[in-house]
Amino acid sequence: MPAFTYQKCSDLSQAMKWLAEDKDTFLLAGGTDLLVGIRGGKFKARQVADIKDIEELKILKEDQKGITIGAGVTLNEIAQFEPVQKNVPILAEGCNSIGTYSVRNRATLVGNICNASPAADTAAPLYCLGAIVKIAGPGGERQVGIEDFFTGPGQSALKAGELVTAILIPKPYPQGKGVYKKASRTRSVDLATVGVAVQRWGQEVRIALGAVAPTPVRASSVEKAINEENVTDAAQAASLVEKDISPISDLRGSREYRYHISKVLVRRGLEETEEVCS
Amino acid sequence: MPTFTNIGKAFPRIEAEEKVTGSAEYIEDRCMGPMLYAKIKKSAIPHGRIKRIDTSRAEALPGVRAVVTGKDCAKNRVGLYLVDRTFFAVDKVRFFGEPLAAVAATSVEIAQKAVDLIEVEYEELPAVFNPLEAMKPEAPLIHEDLGDYEVVPIFYPVAGTNISNHSKIRKGDVDKGFAEADVIIERDYYIPQMQHVTIETHKAAALWGFDGKLTVWSTAQSPFTVRQLLGKCLDMPLHKIRVVSSYIGGGFGGKAGATMEGLVIPLAQRCPGYIVRIVFTREEDLQCTFTRQAMYAHLKTGVRKDGRITALEYKMIWDGGAYTEYGVNITRAAAYSSAAAYDIPNLKTDSYCVYTNNPVGGPVRGFGMCEMQWGIERQMDEIARKLDMDPLELRLLNGLKEGSTTATGQRIEDSSFMNCLRTAAEAVEWGKRDTGKYRGKGLAGLVKAPAQPSNASSSAIVRINEDGTVHLSVSATEMGQGMLTAMCQIAAEALNIPAEKFSTRVPDTDYTPYEWQTVGSRTTYACGHAVTAAAKDALRQIKELGTIALGVPVEEVELEDDTVFWTKDREKQVPLAVLANSYMKPTGEGIHGPIIGRGSFIPSNMTNLDPETGQGNPGMFWTFGASAVELEVDPETGEITILQLATALDAGKAINPQQCKIQVHGGTVMGLGTALYEEVQLKDGRILNPNFTDYKIPTIENTPYMKGFVLETPDKGGPYGARGIGEQPMIAVGPAIANALADALGIEMNTFPMTPERVLKAIQEKEKNS
Repeated sequence: MPAFTYQKCSDLSQAMKWLAEDKDTFLLAGGTDLLVGIRGGKFKARQVADIKDIEELKILKEDQKGITIGAGVTLNEIAQFEPVQKNVPILAEGCNSIGTYSVRNRATLVGNICNASPAADTAAPLYCLGAIVKIAGPGGERQVGIEDFFTGPGQSALKAGELVTAILIPKPYPQGKGVYKKASRTRSVDLATVGVAVQRWGQEVRIALGAVAPTPVRASSVEKAINEENVTDAAQAASLVEKDISPISDLRGSREYRYHISKVLVRRGLEETEEVCS
Repeated sequence: MPTFTNIGKAFPRIEAEEKVTGSAEYIEDRCMGPMLYAKIKKSAIPHGRIKRIDTSRAEALPGVRAVVTGKDCAKNRVGLYLVDRTFFAVDKVRFFGEPLAAVAATSVEIAQKAVDLIEVEYEELPAVFNPLEAMKPEAPLIHEDLGDYEVVPIFYPVAGTNISNHSKIRKGDVDKGFAEADVIIERDYYIPQMQHVTIETHKAAALWGFDGKLTVWSTAQSPFTVRQLLGKCLDMPLHKIRVVSSYIGGGFGGKAGATMEGLVIPLAQRCPGYIVRIVFTREEDLQCTFTRQAMYAHLKTGVRKDGRITALEYKMIWDGGAYTEYGVNITRAAAYSSAAAYDIPNLKTDSYCVYTNNPVGGPVRGFGMCEMQWGIERQMDEIARKLDMDPLELRLLNGLKEGSTTATGQRIEDSSFMNCLRTAAEAVEWGKRDTGKYRGKGLAGLVKAPAQPSNASSSAIVRINEDGTVHLSVSATEMGQGMLTAMCQIAAEALNIPAEKFSTRVPDTDYTPYEWQTVGSRTTYACGHAVTAAAKDALRQIKELGTIALGVPVEEVELEDDTVFWTKDREKQVPLAVLANSYMKPTGEGIHGPIIGRGSFIPSNMTNLDPETGQGNPGMFWTFGASAVELEVDPETGEITILQLATALDAGKAINPQQCKIQVHGGTVMGLGTALYEEVQLKDGRILNPNFTDYKIPTIENTPYMKGFVLETPDKGGPYGARGIGEQPMIAVGPAIANALADALGIEMNTFPMTPERVLKAIQEKEKNS
């Protein structure tokens, strides 16, 4: 493991200070991506600032705006948070499909997003839920929509010196069923070959996919067909997903397989959530 | 049936408390003292000449104590069967990741930094990664000096080529056999490389004493073989080398032979008094240690309408990787077992071990049998379908029975293959059709003998302590398989002293007696024989002393637990503790002194094989078994769900039935992993998936419920009728799954692993063709 300086932060301003002082500062919340990345040479960290015990980042609450999830909240805490289970179970599904239970005791939702992997299992559910990313930085606070946050593989909208403080799942919550469907090489402890989130909102549907493009993507063509063009055949609608995705071949699956599986999983997602739509 | 008091019982593992409390000592807990840490510089190309290695910048780094390159080290080659390897590359590199140089430093980080400062200049040579290509006359030669290498004369390298062994079997007359056949099936199969992924990676440490004595700590499965290979490589007498074993976190063949000890010894030589230790990272473990050899198979089987197999022609081409010092024996074992569990009268087999610039191939649980029997067991099902026969019936008809002969003409003395097949089949309700549309059942048989030279020997020492408890010394290693417990149970049975009163430790070549290797599922049998002999030798001494103490004839003296007694009157007795150490007559005259039993074993039923026909007796014993599976396929995604999975093995006599069952379950899961997930993905000799993100093995979450059966048809030659079952349970799982897929969807899988993508492709191709 390459050497780095470790800084324990007790409040947000400290974390911001370290980020401002050294551009090779990396934030540690769960560390499940960070430490593997440092060891493997992906992240050249001179300094690691540990933010996991900063009180204001441990916020997990529901209020009139929606559900706020701080940067220090773990995947297991989210998946077990009653308002999440009750109102947005698709997010719990996404959280629960990452790693092992013990990894989820450490890993955070914000970390999953900031790692900006196109295959992030929480991303597709967040896209469907219209999540809002709260950012703090030298220029003050700002908010961006989740779909503007991902900009490329490992790339996010975060600017130098900025950090994500929380994710907001805004109200109104979806009225309707949502599912997260994942294809992977093994059924446990594996990255998504393709991840598909399908969320009904009354008569409408929102669909997002992971691991099929440089960022997670919405299946706009499928959504349009169903929401605007009254296509009712799930298979017919799902086949349009190929317009929305641009998968590559890698160790986890070929481009062709990903095209095929995307259609299958979108169709199945539509079928499984259909009861509430009609 | 004889009754037993110590074997056939689920005696608790003797090291269980140490392991569950975390106090069991592994290598890093044991080599303590002034430490230095080693890292190796590895080749960045798959094939080339080393033009220059500049270590000056590494040597100048503060904290660095020694730097060595291949040129600085002993020039002698090392190898178990074909002596083709040096611990460090000299003049030439032959695979990506081959050790070129090593650094010892005061910390791992400094050692790594120093390694990064070593500059290497290569002259790249054309490389070859496919054994089919490497066999061709125009292929680049990987070992120019193959013809000059020392080799055990049961292997047949072809000088001037990349073929490091060609084993042949010629039994009966295949032309005649095919002429008699009503149906002939001919097909290609392929098995990719896989890795053992032991929970503990490879580790070694060395201490060069000021007296010139070398101490080596190693995760090796075979300390004595390591000592022997080191002695030869370093030109050192064996009394100057001590190899210390610890508990090993899994071996599965990957730690057999000498693997990495030679990397730290030259560093230790330069830093006397320091323990120089190397611990491989997971990435290094996957890239730089033995992989399972990939294998290309071509099979042609002839069968009569009534289901009797008349002929088999089998060509195997193995990707041996850059060195095949150990791998040649896998290709030999696969040849001499090439009729698998079936009685095939006419057989022609050619098994080629071929050098490539891929990672070094070597032993893995199964030792060629998973690869070799994959094709045969797939073809059995294809034959059954062609003849419209039940695959179980076809196997029962052709299976090896008592008195049948193997591929090499060896007579089978005891076989319960039929029972294994029936037991596994019954466990998945064979013959009962499920209503599910995409469900199928499949089964496969298996057989395996230990692959060892006929002079592989074992020994044991039984010491009766002063109080009548016992210490057992053997040099088989404990790598999770429960060997120490089984050996104590065997000794306890032979002595008639409860196993609870035994202690034993992991081997140390200075203190424990010779054992060839802990490989090949041979320990219970071979080491077990030595232990029995040692216990009987101690018992003989006890009885002889009992004769004097009790004043009765020796044949009327018996021992039970802590008491030596007269069989005609149990009241006439003497405590074992009185005899055990310093027995003396009432007059004060001492007799005998401490009781030490010794036992040795070497198989007498093995012979060399005829170089042209391969006929002879290569098997110390043959273990039979079978696996059966029921599965469901998602036809749209190619995902397989295992609904039922059963493996039946014949252990002859289960020394510890609980441990046997655990072996059956563990092997079945390992077989499942290779069948569904595991593959070393290589590009130009470089592993693309050297980590658990992309090298997938089963976790508990995707391990199905399994049934394991341990049958007991006594082995006429085994201790208490026991034979080995360590490797066998993984052999039939892959073909059973493939056969079930064929049953479910009519698709033919001829390659491991059966990933969702591969299964889907097969489904799509079938749809296209129909």
